[in-house]
Amino acid sequence: MVEAIAMAHGWEMQHDPSVVVIGQDVGANGGVFRATAGLQARFGADRVQDTPLAEATIAGMSVGMAAHGLKPVAEIQFMGFMYPALDQIVNHMSRMRYRTRGRLTCPVVIRTPHGGGIHAPEHHSESTETLLCHIPGIRVVCPSSPARAYGLLLAAIRDPDPVMFLEPVRLYRAMRQEVSDDGQALPLDHCFILREGSDVTIVTWGAMTIETLRAVVELESQGISAEVIDLATLSPIDGETILASVAKTGRLVIVHEAARNVGVGAEIAALVAEHGLYDLHAPVQRVAGFDTIMPLFRLEHDYIPCVRRIVDAAQLTLTD
Amino acid sequence: MGTFKLPDLGEGLAEAEILEWHVKPGDHVLVDQPMVSVETAKAVVEVPVPYSGTVTVLHGEVGDIVATGSPLIDFDSGTVVGSMPVTSEEEYVDSAKIGRARGGVAARNRAVPMARALARRFGLDLAEIAGSGPGGLIKLDDVLAHAQMDAAPAPAASQSQARPEAGQRALAVPAGATAEPLRGARRAMAHSMTLSRAQIPLSTVCDDADIHGWSQRGDYMLRLIRAMISAWRAEPALNAWYDPASNSRILLKHIDLAIAVDTPGGLIVPVLRNIHDKTPEELRAAIAARKYAAHQRSTTPEDLRDFTLMLSNFGTLAGRYGIPLVVPPAVAILGAGKVRKDAVAVGDSVAAHRRMPLSLSFDHRCITGGEACRFLAAVIGDLEHPE
Repeated sequence: MVEAIAMAHGWEMQHDPSVVVIGQDVGANGGVFRATAGLQARFGADRVQDTPLAEATIAGMSVGMAAHGLKPVAEIQFMGFMYPALDQIVNHMSRMRYRTRGRLTCPVVIRTPHGGGIHAPEHHSESTETLLCHIPGIRVVCPSSPARAYGLLLAAIRDPDPVMFLEPVRLYRAMRQEVSDDGQALPLDHCFILREGSDVTIVTWGAMTIETLRAVVELESQGISAEVIDLATLSPIDGETILASVAKTGRLVIVHEAARNVGVGAEIAALVAEHGLYDLHAPVQRVAGFDTIMPLFRLEHDYIPCVRRIVDAAQLTLTD
Repeated sequence: MGTFKLPDLGEGLAEAEILEWHVKPGDHVLVDQPMVSVETAKAVVEVPVPYSGTVTVLHGEVGDIVATGSPLIDFDSGTVVGSMPVTSEEEYVDSAKIGRARGGVAARNRAVPMARALARRFGLDLAEIAGSGPGGLIKLDDVLAHAQMDAAPAPAASQSQARPEAGQRALAVPAGATAEPLRGARRAMAHSMTLSRAQIPLSTVCDDADIHGWSQRGDYMLRLIRAMISAWRAEPALNAWYDPASNSRILLKHIDLAIAVDTPGGLIVPVLRNIHDKTPEELRAAIAARKYAAHQRSTTPEDLRDFTLMLSNFGTLAGRYGIPLVVPPAVAILGAGKVRKDAVAVGDSVAAHRRMPLSLSFDHRCITGGEACRFLAAVIGDLEHPE
């Protein structure tokens, strides 16, 4: 996935001279995870700029660059370091279009690794997408495969409004997939149906798609046909796809790595309660991280929802 | 980036000679795969790859002597924090479809959650229940209606006949006892009394008729009937039918009196027709005939139907006052308790007088307390007449 991300950067910088890349270690080093590897050598230090270790500055610079016609793609090294940037994101980036009555938009992409599973310290491993999803005026996107990382990052860069691009860190090198460097973007604000099924709908995103797809194999061996929806754009939510699926299956399980309390899963459950209640055959189940600090890495696999928990939740929706 | 230095290969030797590299710059390598063969003074040692990642630099060519602790190879492990799970060699198969597949999906058995839960409890299949809500939505009432129809008792019984009351736990039959299904008159009583309790906001008023002045002992039943006819003329409202569906009452121009007859087979309530037109002899004969039929179990359905007023002379057995239940569509029932001598005030002294206790129950939806009390007063007035 990380190579697909670098490739998307390369394509867009090649074809759009207004695209610039900024962030700590993105230049000479190629990014902490090598998501910007080779870009500085190819496009020069003006377009691929190393910044100080100062997330508020990175976000603030992005706002300024965007206001002057550039399309900055900024990297925040870990999602846990995002918080100093929130001031710029909430108070400027998200409302540039609103505040200028549409005269200016803010075509910024902020990329950041998301989630755990790589034995990094705990504040490098959290999934705090809910904090971002609650902010009006920005999109939050989380790809789950190299091809979707490529296509969605291109769409995010091309979008005239700010996009938070959350990259599941344990998927960076977890899968091999042929991705053609053809500049084809994938649509934002759409779910992806990873697998069609008829008995239960499982909505998930990011790295949890992997555990979910494994759980689906086990469910299939028990004769249960699960439909897997990759949410992909976490805000705004593509409710139509989810509701159509729930109308078909009558059962819903939501799987996310983030803590359960007020997670994006709660919003999805509320959406279905409001618009799809009469289609439900069983209460909605959520499989999520626990409402505690992400543990240090020895225990992180006890925190991240496992195949067993997903299978159990799906079975629960099918038990009368 | 990570630089791996030539480790002490365990023999305390200061250096080693590179015999063969098994990797080259640009290779994606996995931990523990063979990396380099080196020869120490004593042996040829295979050194495995220490980290997964990409080889960037080899510090030394074949034949070079490398000192222990000197840089041997550089890797790019893909991260400076944590350990990155590396690529599985399998190609990731991804057949994602972009969402918002519109239409074509037929919602099946859409139901209000409570309706769904109730259907499950009743063991009903939602697919068989017609939904009356928008778009065929199955509502609570639909499930209830469906359950009612399916739960209709055996063909012999009428459809509206009572079923075990919802909400009551199934009884465990104690050892030595057997459960006896209610049949015939008992079954009808269960139904009519359930109906009465379920529908009628009942009120009962009690008083006594002082019959000490009767010139002869008299037939209580006939006197009661005469008193009710007399009371009806004074207060016609109690001889009526009430229809809750249309919220209307029908004041009747005749009295068909239902009288409670206790039999071993159960309570039978046959009807005396047009009692207001009958002579005492005719009435006496009619009562005897009804009672006989009840004990012979030969009461016809016609004789049980369409009563306009009810009478229960339970005092022939025991009991002073009671709360008799009215069976719809009638609206009133008079109960007469056991006659006995009471100490009553006569002027300023106390005397022993025979008195008949009376309990009048009425459907308060269509009868006022005033009407009921006027009726009861008229009954007492007639009963207290000596003849």
